[in-house]
Amino acid sequence: MDDSEELRETLVVMRQQVEQLRTEATHANLLLSALDAMLETDAGDDPFTPVFAILTPIFECHCILVLNERNQTPGSLECVATNRRALLGTLWPVGKLLAKALSGHVVSTLSGSGIEAWPDGVMDKLSRNQPALYLPIAVHGSHGVMLLLRDVDQPGFDRTHAALARKFSLLASHALAARRANLATRESHRLRNLTAKLKASQEALLYRANHDQLTGLPNRTHIREQINVRLANKSPGGVLALAYVDIDGFKHINDMHGHAVGDALLMEVARRIQAELRSADLLGRISGDEFIIAFDPVDERADLARFVQRIQSRVQLPMPIENAEVHPSISIGVAFYPEHGLDYETLRRHADLAMYRVKSGMKGGVSFFTHDLGRNASQKLIVERRIKHAIDAREFHCALQRKVNIRNGAIVGFEALARWVDADGVAHEPSTFLSIAAKLDLLDDITEHVVTDLLRHLPALDAKFGSHLRYSVNISAAQAMNIPFMLKLLRRISHAERHGRFTLEITEESFASSGPFLTHILPTLRACDISVSLDDFGAGYSSLAKLSELIVDEIKLDRSLVASIHQRPRSQVILRAVESLGATLNIPIVAEGIETNAENDYFLEHTGIAIGQGFLYHKPQLLRGLLQRT
Amino acid sequence: MIQVKSFVAAAETTAAALSTLLASIDGAVPITPDFLWVFFGSAHDDDAIWTCLRRKFPKAALIGGTSCSGVMSEAGLGGVDSIGLLLVEDPHGAYGSAACHLIDDPADCAERALHDALASADCAGELPELIWIYQSPGHEEAVLEGLRRVVGDRCPILGGSSADNAIAGRWRQLGPHGPMSDGLVVGVLFSSGGIGVDLQGGYEPSGESGIVTRVDRHAAAEVDATGKVRGRHIVSIDDQPAAIVYDRWIDGALADMLDHGGSALLRTTMCPLGIKTGKIEGIPHYLPLHPDRILPGGVLSTFASVEEGTTVFAMRGNKSRLVARAGKVVSAAANTLPNAISGVAGGLVVYCAGCMFAVGEDMHDVSSTIARSFDGAPFLGCFTFGEQGTVLGKNVHGNLMISAIVFGK
Repeated sequence: MDDSEELRETLVVMRQQVEQLRTEATHANLLLSALDAMLETDAGDDPFTPVFAILTPIFECHCILVLNERNQTPGSLECVATNRRALLGTLWPVGKLLAKALSGHVVSTLSGSGIEAWPDGVMDKLSRNQPALYLPIAVHGSHGVMLLLRDVDQPGFDRTHAALARKFSLLASHALAARRANLATRESHRLRNLTAKLKASQEALLYRANHDQLTGLPNRTHIREQINVRLANKSPGGVLALAYVDIDGFKHINDMHGHAVGDALLMEVARRIQAELRSADLLGRISGDEFIIAFDPVDERADLARFVQRIQSRVQLPMPIENAEVHPSISIGVAFYPEHGLDYETLRRHADLAMYRVKSGMKGGVSFFTHDLGRNASQKLIVERRIKHAIDAREFHCALQRKVNIRNGAIVGFEALARWVDADGVAHEPSTFLSIAAKLDLLDDITEHVVTDLLRHLPALDAKFGSHLRYSVNISAAQAMNIPFMLKLLRRISHAERHGRFTLEITEESFASSGPFLTHILPTLRACDISVSLDDFGAGYSSLAKLSELIVDEIKLDRSLVASIHQRPRSQVILRAVESLGATLNIPIVAEGIETNAENDYFLEHTGIAIGQGFLYHKPQLLRGLLQRT
Repeated sequence: MIQVKSFVAAAETTAAALSTLLASIDGAVPITPDFLWVFFGSAHDDDAIWTCLRRKFPKAALIGGTSCSGVMSEAGLGGVDSIGLLLVEDPHGAYGSAACHLIDDPADCAERALHDALASADCAGELPELIWIYQSPGHEEAVLEGLRRVVGDRCPILGGSSADNAIAGRWRQLGPHGPMSDGLVVGVLFSSGGIGVDLQGGYEPSGESGIVTRVDRHAAAEVDATGKVRGRHIVSIDDQPAAIVYDRWIDGALADMLDHGGSALLRTTMCPLGIKTGKIEGIPHYLPLHPDRILPGGVLSTFASVEEGTTVFAMRGNKSRLVARAGKVVSAAANTLPNAISGVAGGLVVYCAGCMFAVGEDMHDVSSTIARSFDGAPFLGCFTFGEQGTVLGKNVHGNLMISAIVFGK
């Protein structure tokens, strides 16, 4: 007995210490990020804007206001910074809670308390029943309050939030004071030299306003102006080609190798493209990994195809960056003046559509705009509208596909999949909506519908299939790094009280060292007893070396690796390596996409893999059908 | 800066004890408490205690009541006739208390009392740092439910169920408006130096377990929306009379009571029941459940509710662990202080009266162990018939447990 109690006691102490260290580490990181952001903003910029972006996901709040004392309005505070533009400048009477915060107390309100009088002008934008956290802050030498608000239906802030707010309040006030002092010193120095440097400053500012600081290329506004000038001066019969360039997999490279490597890649790609252009051609960077090229003039389309080919070949050369070798690739879409548009915006949109077609097929290629493509794009817009309507009409449902023990046929679990059943009862395959939904940032809504459907039917599923089966839910890389979304999802799953029976299927991208998944989400997953499955392993970027560093509970082989495995020696070699590593790391492997008896026989006879999934065993079924007949 | 002081006096008459108590307060460094706890042996006159304290400290939020066999402090055990005070002076904090009789719907009563306590602290609508409660035994789960409607598990709720010296139902509670015998007192604390808390039990499963197949639906049982029944009179375990099953698990220690019933409290302190509350790293944790009586028909009465369908486990404890654990709880509470470096100002310990009976003459070791953990800082300890606190992030009611709250300076 003593041993058991000692173990329990040790575990409790260790857990408390780990929780405390984790909380403190998270707090410290957050505080440093917020303070860095505050101190590094330029003199004329609002120091709070970057801070809001950092605080919002951590405190799971949607609205932040900085209220400051003003001499001309005694008895009230003015909103001097906020992430809700409409609230800027509103005057807030100093009620009891604001007075407490002004005197140095952190105050967390109970949900739905609504005890503080707020100005009439904000009542159409805010509700006094929103859970609030008031924290004291000193801004510009006077007292103020930072007010964090959650939605009415969210739980109130807890003691951990109050503790973090207390630390942030103290440090932020010091940081603002230090920033102010530094600014004053710099200001006087600048004034002394202002006259002499005025001309140079103006030029620098103009350059900065027109150019991307990283690559030195014209920015979005400037390249548009430059190209429109060219178009306005085109003589009859003159042709210009506008190319839309997008770096393939840039986000993945950024996530896997960090922003420094991402920045270096952008600069090198810009340099390589520039090196292939003629002196009269224009190149600009219009957003993160997107560039615009104006080929001007264009005499022959064939010449242009050769130009583009040369650019791609050059860009694709291996690029050694910080001990890593990156193989860049770009997708290019091209539209011609005057055939495909008479102004920059039309040409850019049409070139973008052509580029999008490349991305949908074989990345790293070139596509020229056609009017058919334009008509298809209109069709795409219709689909987009239908998806949005389908979400509002709750037409997305959960379908389940069995995971089975291929050695004895027993069901071991289900994978939850999204299915769109429209008002006419037509079921749409995921391929018709998932990529568009992802592009429109609608995946979160669809996932929510699927999980809601699944959780609602869990009692019936348990009754039919037993309470030992596991359920897995797919999470995209973007979702995995979205802290508020993930925390909400994990809360919902935890409330189902099926501990140890849920798995999130997540792709390798989510585990990027620089992402928040490892720091914020994974510990919560562990605490909620939710497993992690590495999905689509073997597709694209998978790295065996990386696998040994990841903390996953399951590996799912990508269906591209499973397809015709019995006929593909190269896939078999990869499979053996993955299986060996899985065995060494004690991580079970699931073969996804088994569709034929030949594939199944290969797994049975040549591997030790026990769990499989695929049409051979079970086609995904909507819950209603699955519960009716099995 | 928070100042905490404890004062204990003992005498056969309440007047004599209070006189000694006031003399020691007046002779000490002056303190103007914002919050005070008072506990006393159940033979004392509670009206006299309340009147004296209201006169002496009219502005302090007050909470307390009877404690089984008196109190303990850094000076040791106070004895069955003792009265103990813990005074907290914190001019930059906010404190309040409120009381109610637990009639009709205890959950509603508790909810209202919490709002009243917040209002008395001038903190209406604010989340407190800590809620501390003292109540008449019997409705603890409902009281917690009412409080959790307001704050959920976002702040800790600690406290105890008032106890008398002879287990004869003579427990009372003391709140801002006087003594009660069927009441609840709620204190809310917003300290300026931080408060650390902890609650632990000292028992392990001994091997036997069974499922509660029936709870008496007429004995203060609750039925939730799904039809599940929970109550304190366990009729059957594994479809057999609960008392017979339990007696078998503890090697016939209650055999002489099975036919006619009787008080089982003193015989079951080292071998209570337990229910699982969750797991840490795959290791289950248990909440002790103290059987207090055998009722006719083999029904087992307990000091905490259990739901039909719950698996109950036979548990075992031993004296040395119940002594050592008291100090560990205090140290664990101190470790959760938000600013542990600034030091401990003092604190309060709730020690289960059942554990006190089991430890017996070694209780002096308990008070000295606690004193060592407080490292010279003052404390007050009371002995209760039920303990409330936070286990694995949830506010719960249990038996045979020890809780501590520690004030940072």
